[in-house]
Amino acid sequence: MKKSIYVLALITILFSACKNDKKQAESNSMQSSEMNMKEADGHDHDDHDHDATMGENSSKEERNIDATTQKNSATSAIIDSYLQIKNALVEDSKEGAAKGGAMMLTAFTDFDMSQLNDSQHKEYMEILEDAKEQAEHIVKSPIDHQREHFENLSIDVNDLIALLGTDKTLYQSKCPMAGEGKGAIWLSEYKEIKNPFFGSKMISCGSVQKQIN
Amino acid sequence: MKKLKKLFIFLLIVFVGIQFIPTKRNQSTEVLETDFSKTFAVPTNIQNMFEKSCYDCHSNNTNYPWYNKIQPISWLLENHIKEGKKEFNFSEFGAYSKRKQKNKLKSLASQIRDNEMPMQSYTLIHRDAKLSDNDKEQIIVWINKLRDSL
Repeated sequence: MKKSIYVLALITILFSACKNDKKQAESNSMQSSEMNMKEADGHDHDDHDHDATMGENSSKEERNIDATTQKNSATSAIIDSYLQIKNALVEDSKEGAAKGGAMMLTAFTDFDMSQLNDSQHKEYMEILEDAKEQAEHIVKSPIDHQREHFENLSIDVNDLIALLGTDKTLYQSKCPMAGEGKGAIWLSEYKEIKNPFFGSKMISCGSVQKQIN
Repeated sequence: MKKLKKLFIFLLIVFVGIQFIPTKRNQSTEVLETDFSKTFAVPTNIQNMFEKSCYDCHSNNTNYPWYNKIQPISWLLENHIKEGKKEFNFSEFGAYSKRKQKNKLKSLASQIRDNEMPMQSYTLIHRDAKLSDNDKEQIIVWINKLRDSL
Protein backbone atom coordinates (compact mmCIF):
# COMPACT_ATOMS: atom_id res chain seq x y z
CA MET A 1 0.00 0.00 0.00
CA LYS A 2 2.73 2.37 1.04
CA LYS A 3 4.65 1.68 -2.11
CA SER A 4 1.78 2.40 -4.40
CA ILE A 5 1.45 5.79 -2.74
CA TYR A 6 5.08 6.46 -3.57
CA VAL A 7 4.48 5.42 -7.14
CA LEU A 8 1.50 7.70 -7.44
CA ALA A 9 3.45 10.54 -5.93
CA LEU A 10 6.33 9.98 -8.32
CA ILE A 11 4.07 9.90 -11.34
CA THR A 12 2.34 13.08 -10.22
CA ILE A 13 5.67 14.81 -9.82
CA LEU A 14 6.79 13.70 -13.23
CA PHE A 15 3.58 14.91 -14.79
CA SER A 16 3.75 18.31 -13.22
CA ALA A 17 7.42 18.71 -14.06
CA CYS A 18 6.59 18.00 -17.64
CA LYS A 19 3.81 20.57 -17.66
CA ASN A 20 6.16 23.27 -16.41
CA ASP A 21 8.59 22.40 -19.11
CA LYS A 22 5.92 22.80 -21.70
CA LYS A 23 4.91 26.19 -20.43
CA GLN A 24 8.47 27.32 -20.49
CA ALA A 25 8.90 26.05 -24.00
CA GLU A 26 5.83 27.98 -25.06
CA SER A 27 7.01 31.22 -23.55
CA ASN A 28 10.41 30.65 -25.12
CA SER A 29 8.94 30.24 -28.53
CA MET A 30 6.83 33.34 -27.99
CA GLN A 31 9.92 35.28 -27.10
CA SER A 32 11.72 34.08 -30.15
CA SER A 33 8.86 34.96 -32.47
CA GLU A 34 8.85 38.43 -30.94
CA MET A 35 12.53 38.63 -31.66
CA ASN A 36 11.94 37.61 -35.23
CA MET A 37 9.37 40.33 -35.64
CA LYS A 38 11.80 42.85 -34.31
CA GLU A 39 14.40 41.62 -36.67
CA ALA A 40 12.03 41.79 -39.59
CA ASP A 41 11.24 45.39 -38.63
CA GLY A 42 14.85 46.28 -38.52
CA HIS A 43 15.61 44.97 -41.93
CA ASP A 44 16.72 48.16 -43.60
CA HIS A 45 18.83 48.81 -40.68
CA ASP A 46 20.28 45.37 -40.94
CA ASP A 47 21.81 46.16 -44.27
CA HIS A 48 23.19 49.39 -43.00
CA ASP A 49 24.77 47.62 -40.10
CA HIS A 50 26.16 45.02 -42.41
CA ASP A 51 27.88 47.63 -44.54
CA ALA A 52 29.28 49.27 -41.50
CA THR A 53 30.78 46.16 -39.99
CA MET A 54 31.90 44.43 -43.12
CA GLY A 55 32.96 47.25 -45.44
CA GLU A 56 36.61 46.89 -44.68
CA ASN A 57 37.47 50.40 -43.67
CA SER A 58 35.66 53.40 -45.03
CA SER A 59 32.26 53.08 -43.36
CA LYS A 60 33.71 51.63 -40.20
CA GLU A 61 36.08 54.53 -39.91
CA GLU A 62 33.23 56.96 -40.16
CA ARG A 63 31.32 55.34 -37.36
CA ASN A 64 34.24 55.43 -35.05
CA ILE A 65 34.81 59.10 -35.64
CA ASP A 66 31.25 59.57 -34.48
CA ALA A 67 32.09 57.72 -31.34
CA THR A 68 34.96 59.99 -30.49
CA THR A 69 32.67 62.98 -30.41
CA GLN A 70 30.11 61.25 -28.27
CA LYS A 71 31.03 61.16 -24.59
CA ASN A 72 28.65 58.67 -23.13
CA SER A 73 29.12 57.05 -19.74
CA ALA A 74 26.06 54.79 -20.10
CA THR A 75 28.13 52.15 -21.88
CA SER A 76 30.82 52.08 -19.17
CA ALA A 77 29.61 49.02 -17.27
CA ILE A 78 29.41 46.98 -20.48
CA ILE A 79 32.88 48.10 -21.55
CA ASP A 80 34.30 47.38 -18.09
CA SER A 81 33.02 43.82 -18.24
CA TYR A 82 34.48 43.47 -21.74
CA LEU A 83 37.86 44.65 -20.48
CA GLN A 84 37.64 42.17 -17.62
CA ILE A 85 37.19 39.35 -20.14
CA LYS A 86 39.99 40.75 -22.29
CA ASN A 87 42.44 41.01 -19.41
CA ALA A 88 41.60 37.51 -18.19
CA LEU A 89 42.25 36.09 -21.66
CA VAL A 90 45.57 37.95 -21.80
CA GLU A 91 46.47 36.10 -18.58
CA ASP A 92 45.12 32.77 -19.90
CA SER A 93 42.53 32.74 -17.12
CA LYS A 94 39.40 30.82 -18.05
CA GLU A 95 37.79 31.58 -14.68
CA GLY A 96 38.48 35.29 -14.94
CA ALA A 97 36.97 35.42 -18.41
CA ALA A 98 33.90 33.51 -17.22
CA LYS A 99 33.50 36.03 -14.41
CA GLY A 100 33.73 38.85 -16.94
CA GLY A 101 31.08 37.13 -19.06
CA ALA A 102 28.72 37.05 -16.09
CA MET A 103 29.52 40.72 -15.38
CA MET A 104 28.62 41.57 -18.94
CA LEU A 105 25.26 39.80 -18.74
CA THR A 106 24.45 41.87 -15.66
CA ALA A 107 25.67 45.05 -17.34
CA PHE A 108 23.37 44.48 -20.29
CA THR A 109 20.44 43.75 -17.98
CA ASP A 110 21.08 46.98 -16.09
CA PHE A 111 21.50 49.07 -19.22
CA ASP A 112 18.89 51.80 -19.48
CA MET A 113 17.40 51.51 -22.96
CA SER A 114 14.98 54.40 -22.53
CA GLN A 115 17.65 56.88 -23.56
CA LEU A 116 18.01 55.32 -27.01
CA ASN A 117 16.27 56.84 -30.00
CA ASP A 118 14.39 54.71 -32.52
CA SER A 119 17.20 54.07 -34.97
CA GLN A 120 19.69 53.36 -32.19
CA HIS A 121 17.25 51.00 -30.56
CA LYS A 122 17.09 48.60 -33.49
CA GLU A 123 20.81 48.22 -33.85
CA TYR A 124 21.26 48.10 -30.11
CA MET A 125 18.87 45.14 -29.93
CA GLU A 126 20.88 43.25 -32.54
CA ILE A 127 24.14 43.95 -30.79
CA LEU A 128 22.57 43.04 -27.46
CA GLU A 129 21.22 39.73 -28.73
CA ASP A 130 24.55 38.74 -30.21
CA ALA A 131 26.75 39.99 -27.38
CA LYS A 132 24.63 38.24 -24.77
CA GLU A 133 25.01 34.97 -26.62
CA GLN A 134 28.79 35.42 -26.82
CA ALA A 135 28.90 36.28 -23.10
CA GLU A 136 26.82 33.22 -22.18
CA HIS A 137 29.25 31.00 -24.05
CA ILE A 138 32.22 32.69 -22.43
CA VAL A 139 30.70 31.89 -19.03
CA LYS A 140 30.50 28.15 -19.72
CA SER A 141 33.21 27.29 -22.27
CA PRO A 142 36.82 26.13 -22.24
CA ILE A 143 39.35 28.86 -22.97
CA ASP A 144 39.83 28.24 -26.69
CA HIS A 145 36.08 28.61 -27.18
CA GLN A 146 36.05 31.67 -24.97
CA ARG A 147 38.59 33.19 -27.32
CA GLU A 148 36.52 32.42 -30.40
CA HIS A 149 33.50 34.08 -28.83
CA PHE A 150 35.65 36.98 -27.70
CA GLU A 151 36.45 37.69 -31.36
CA ASN A 152 32.74 38.18 -32.10
CA LEU A 153 32.23 40.04 -28.85
CA SER A 154 34.97 42.50 -29.75
CA ILE A 155 33.13 43.42 -32.95
CA ASP A 156 29.89 43.80 -31.00
CA VAL A 157 31.45 46.07 -28.37
CA ASN A 158 33.27 48.05 -31.04
CA ASP A 159 29.97 48.59 -32.88
CA LEU A 160 28.24 49.46 -29.63
CA ILE A 161 30.79 52.19 -29.02
CA ALA A 162 30.41 53.42 -32.59
CA LEU A 163 26.65 53.55 -32.04
CA LEU A 164 26.44 55.05 -28.58
CA GLY A 165 29.88 56.40 -27.73
CA THR A 166 31.94 56.20 -24.57
CA ASP A 167 33.79 58.58 -22.27
CA LYS A 168 36.67 56.15 -21.91
CA THR A 169 39.94 56.30 -23.81
CA LEU A 170 40.38 53.01 -25.64
CA TYR A 171 42.73 51.54 -28.22
CA GLN A 172 41.55 49.34 -31.04
CA SER A 173 44.23 46.82 -31.95
CA LYS A 174 44.38 44.10 -34.54
CA CYS A 175 46.05 40.72 -34.49
CA PRO A 176 46.59 39.49 -38.07
CA MET A 177 46.95 35.87 -36.95
CA ALA A 178 43.69 35.56 -35.03
CA GLY A 179 40.36 34.67 -36.63
CA GLU A 180 41.85 31.69 -38.43
CA GLY A 181 44.35 33.90 -40.18
CA LYS A 182 41.79 36.49 -41.23
CA GLY A 183 42.78 38.84 -38.45
CA ALA A 184 40.67 40.04 -35.55
CA ILE A 185 40.33 43.22 -33.53
CA TRP A 186 40.13 43.83 -29.83
CA LEU A 187 39.79 46.87 -27.59
CA SER A 188 42.10 47.77 -24.76
CA GLU A 189 42.32 50.47 -22.13
CA TYR A 190 46.10 50.76 -22.70
CA LYS A 191 48.28 51.24 -25.74
CA GLU A 192 50.73 48.44 -25.09
CA ILE A 193 49.98 45.24 -27.04
CA LYS A 194 48.92 42.32 -24.85
CA ASN A 195 47.19 39.80 -27.04
CA PRO A 196 43.97 38.24 -25.68
CA PHE A 197 43.54 35.80 -28.58
CA PHE A 198 46.74 33.87 -27.87
CA GLY A 199 47.69 34.96 -24.35
CA SER A 200 51.16 33.99 -23.22
CA LYS A 201 51.77 32.01 -26.43
CA MET A 202 52.00 35.17 -28.52
CA ILE A 203 51.55 38.01 -26.12
CA SER A 204 52.92 40.79 -28.31
CA CYS A 205 51.25 39.88 -31.61
CA GLY A 206 49.29 42.76 -33.07
CA SER A 207 49.35 46.50 -33.51
CA VAL A 208 47.26 49.48 -32.49
CA GLN A 209 45.01 50.65 -35.29
CA LYS A 210 43.32 53.60 -33.73
CA GLN A 211 42.65 55.47 -30.57
CA ILE A 212 39.10 56.12 -29.39
CA ASN A 213 38.90 59.43 -27.48
CA MET B 1 14.27 -12.28 -3.01
CA LYS B 2 10.86 -10.93 -2.17
CA LYS B 3 12.34 -7.46 -1.91
CA LEU B 4 13.92 -7.77 -5.33
CA LYS B 5 10.61 -8.76 -6.82
CA LYS B 6 8.92 -5.78 -5.22
CA LEU B 7 11.59 -3.48 -6.58
CA PHE B 8 11.16 -4.93 -10.03
CA ILE B 9 7.40 -4.42 -9.92
CA PHE B 10 7.96 -0.88 -8.68
CA LEU B 11 10.31 -0.08 -11.55
CA LEU B 12 7.93 -1.65 -14.02
CA ILE B 13 5.08 0.53 -12.79
CA VAL B 14 7.25 3.63 -13.08
CA PHE B 15 8.34 2.63 -16.57
CA VAL B 16 4.76 2.06 -17.69
CA GLY B 17 3.66 5.24 -15.91
CA ILE B 18 6.13 7.50 -17.66
CA GLN B 19 5.00 6.21 -21.04
CA PHE B 20 1.86 8.31 -20.60
CA ILE B 21 3.80 11.53 -20.42
CA PRO B 22 3.29 13.43 -23.62
CA THR B 23 6.26 14.80 -25.56
CA LYS B 24 6.32 17.63 -27.98
CA ARG B 25 7.26 16.36 -31.41
CA ASN B 26 9.49 18.52 -33.51
CA GLN B 27 7.97 17.94 -36.92
CA SER B 28 6.72 20.13 -39.70
CA THR B 29 6.02 19.49 -43.35
CA GLU B 30 6.49 23.11 -44.25
CA VAL B 31 9.87 24.46 -45.31
CA LEU B 32 9.87 28.03 -44.00
CA GLU B 33 10.88 30.98 -46.15
CA THR B 34 13.57 31.61 -43.56
CA ASP B 35 15.11 28.16 -44.04
CA PHE B 36 18.84 28.10 -44.71
CA SER B 37 18.24 26.55 -48.15
CA LYS B 38 15.99 29.46 -49.13
CA THR B 39 18.21 32.15 -47.64
CA PHE B 40 21.32 31.23 -49.60
CA ALA B 41 22.07 29.43 -52.85
CA VAL B 42 23.26 26.22 -51.24
CA PRO B 43 24.76 23.55 -53.52
CA THR B 44 22.64 20.39 -53.40
CA ASN B 45 25.36 18.14 -52.03
CA ILE B 46 26.10 20.57 -49.19
CA GLN B 47 22.41 20.99 -48.35
CA ASN B 48 22.03 17.20 -48.31
CA MET B 49 24.87 16.89 -45.83
CA PHE B 50 23.28 19.52 -43.58
CA GLU B 51 19.93 17.79 -43.72
CA LYS B 52 21.39 14.38 -42.96
CA SER B 53 23.86 15.45 -40.28
CA CYS B 54 22.37 18.55 -38.67
CA TYR B 55 18.66 19.05 -39.30
CA ASP B 56 17.44 16.47 -36.77
CA CYS B 57 18.46 18.70 -33.89
CA HIS B 58 18.91 22.07 -35.60
CA SER B 59 15.70 22.56 -37.56
CA ASN B 60 11.93 22.47 -37.08
CA ASN B 61 11.72 19.01 -38.57
CA THR B 62 13.23 15.96 -36.93
CA ASN B 63 13.39 12.62 -38.64
CA TYR B 64 12.61 10.52 -35.57
CA PRO B 65 13.96 7.04 -34.94
CA TRP B 66 11.38 4.39 -33.93
CA TYR B 67 12.61 4.24 -30.33
CA ASN B 68 11.73 7.85 -29.83
CA LYS B 69 8.28 6.72 -28.76
CA ILE B 70 9.72 5.10 -25.65
CA GLN B 71 10.26 7.11 -22.48
CA PRO B 72 12.67 8.20 -21.11
CA ILE B 73 14.40 8.30 -24.52
CA SER B 74 11.80 10.77 -25.79
CA TRP B 75 12.73 13.19 -23.05
CA LEU B 76 16.37 12.93 -23.82
CA LEU B 77 15.79 13.62 -27.49
CA GLU B 78 13.35 16.42 -26.77
CA ASN B 79 15.95 18.16 -24.63
CA HIS B 80 18.68 17.71 -27.21
CA ILE B 81 16.47 19.18 -29.89
CA LYS B 82 15.41 22.10 -27.70
CA GLU B 83 19.03 22.92 -26.92
CA GLY B 84 20.09 22.40 -30.50
CA LYS B 85 17.47 24.71 -31.94
CA LYS B 86 18.20 27.40 -29.41
CA GLU B 87 21.83 27.37 -30.47
CA PHE B 88 21.29 27.24 -34.21
CA ASN B 89 18.11 26.70 -36.20
CA PHE B 90 18.44 26.04 -39.94
CA SER B 91 14.69 26.65 -40.36
CA GLU B 92 14.91 30.19 -39.01
CA PHE B 93 18.33 31.18 -40.25
CA GLY B 94 16.96 33.80 -42.65
CA ALA B 95 15.34 35.66 -39.76
CA TYR B 96 18.63 36.09 -37.89
CA SER B 97 20.33 39.49 -38.07
CA LYS B 98 23.33 39.70 -40.40
CA ARG B 99 25.50 39.95 -37.32
CA LYS B 100 24.12 36.73 -35.93
CA GLN B 101 24.26 34.94 -39.28
CA LYS B 102 27.94 35.71 -39.68
CA ASN B 103 28.78 34.54 -36.19
CA LYS B 104 26.69 31.40 -36.50
CA LEU B 105 28.34 30.48 -39.79
CA LYS B 106 31.71 30.91 -38.14
CA SER B 107 30.73 28.65 -35.25
CA LEU B 108 29.24 26.11 -37.65
CA ALA B 109 32.55 25.82 -39.51
CA SER B 110 34.66 25.63 -36.35
CA GLN B 111 32.41 23.05 -34.68
CA ILE B 112 32.61 20.82 -37.74
CA ARG B 113 36.35 21.35 -38.10
CA ASP B 114 36.97 20.42 -34.46
CA ASN B 115 34.71 17.34 -34.71
CA GLU B 116 32.41 18.71 -32.04
CA MET B 117 29.44 18.51 -34.35
CA PRO B 118 27.66 16.32 -35.26
CA MET B 119 27.87 14.90 -31.76
CA GLN B 120 29.45 11.50 -31.26
CA SER B 121 26.46 10.17 -29.35
CA TYR B 122 24.38 11.02 -32.40
CA THR B 123 26.62 9.61 -35.11
CA LEU B 124 27.02 6.43 -33.09
CA ILE B 125 23.41 5.60 -33.94
CA HIS B 126 23.04 7.60 -37.13
CA ARG B 127 26.03 6.18 -38.96
CA ASP B 128 25.20 8.00 -42.18
CA ALA B 129 25.26 11.38 -40.41
CA LYS B 130 28.99 11.11 -39.86
CA LEU B 131 30.94 13.54 -42.04
CA SER B 132 34.05 12.31 -43.82
CA ASP B 133 37.17 14.48 -43.96
CA ASN B 134 36.26 15.30 -47.53
CA ASP B 135 32.70 16.29 -46.54
CA LYS B 136 34.05 18.49 -43.77
CA GLU B 137 36.50 20.17 -46.10
CA GLN B 138 33.77 20.89 -48.65
CA ILE B 139 31.44 22.38 -46.05
CA ILE B 140 34.12 24.53 -44.46
CA VAL B 141 35.37 25.93 -47.76
CA TRP B 142 31.83 26.74 -48.83
CA ILE B 143 30.90 28.30 -45.48
CA ASN B 144 33.99 30.49 -45.50
CA LYS B 145 33.16 31.72 -48.97
CA LEU B 146 29.61 32.48 -47.89
CA ARG B 147 30.84 34.34 -44.80
CA ASP B 148 33.11 36.52 -46.89
CA SER B 149 30.22 37.41 -49.18
CA LEU B 150 27.95 38.53 -46.34
